[in-house]
Amino acid sequence: MIELRLHRDLYRGTAVDEAVKVFARHGTFALSEQPEHWVVRVESKTPARERQLAGELGNYALGLTVKQGGAT
Amino acid sequence: MTSPIAGLPTDVVQADLGAGTVAFTIDTATYPLEAVYGASYIFIDRCFVLLDRPADGKIRVSLAPKKGVPDADALRSIVGEFGNELLGCAWRAQITQQNRAVIEALTTQALAGAMGPPSLDELASFDFTEESFEDPLGIATSWEDKYKKKDGKDATATAAPSAATSSQPAESPTGGKGDAA
Repeated sequence: MIELRLHRDLYRGTAVDEAVKVFARHGTFALSEQPEHWVVRVESKTPARERQLAGELGNYALGLTVKQGGAT
Repeated sequence: MTSPIAGLPTDVVQADLGAGTVAFTIDTATYPLEAVYGASYIFIDRCFVLLDRPADGKIRVSLAPKKGVPDADALRSIVGEFGNELLGCAWRAQITQQNRAVIEALTTQALAGAMGPPSLDELASFDFTEESFEDPLGIATSWEDKYKKKDGKDATATAAPSAATSSQPAESPTGGKGDAA
């Protein structure tokens, strides 16, 4: 299991939600919130696949955030 | 386990050769967030990019190439390319900010020019009676509207003082009566 911590000042919450929806069929995701971070726990079949899935999800959330003009 | 990369400051850049990742800290006073976003966006096709904020005014960027296990030279190359891209994005952001007023003025003129001049029909149907601003002092009121004769009685009363005034000798601007000579 990989825990992805995305800072609220840098990642838009709706972008993280959208990224989880897009990659939902490739693994298991658990979303939670902390005071400064959006936390996504990623589980998949193999550690390598988990790493790839977490990386792609982070990239997707970052790309959406940039396209939407930032986190706020 | 982190290890330094030759040629790069160890307090800024840390590499993890086992995991194939490199991370470095950026000061937002030097590089604004827009520039970090811009450079990161360019790299998301070949690296896994993760941003974090370890402290106020700092952004930590972690890069992990998607393909293969990179060695120290490859990671150094990635950090260098990201730094160059970051510098370019920061410079573009600064130029855009400096020229924002000019860009907006030119865009407005271009859009207004594209609309073309109003046609005669549009001018004929334009409502000029609409008051576009308040005029509490009556500055925009015409002379005729402001001092128009209401009836004959008022007109006589108004005309009498002016006639009496006209019979007085004219005063010079210096206060003397009549011509100074």
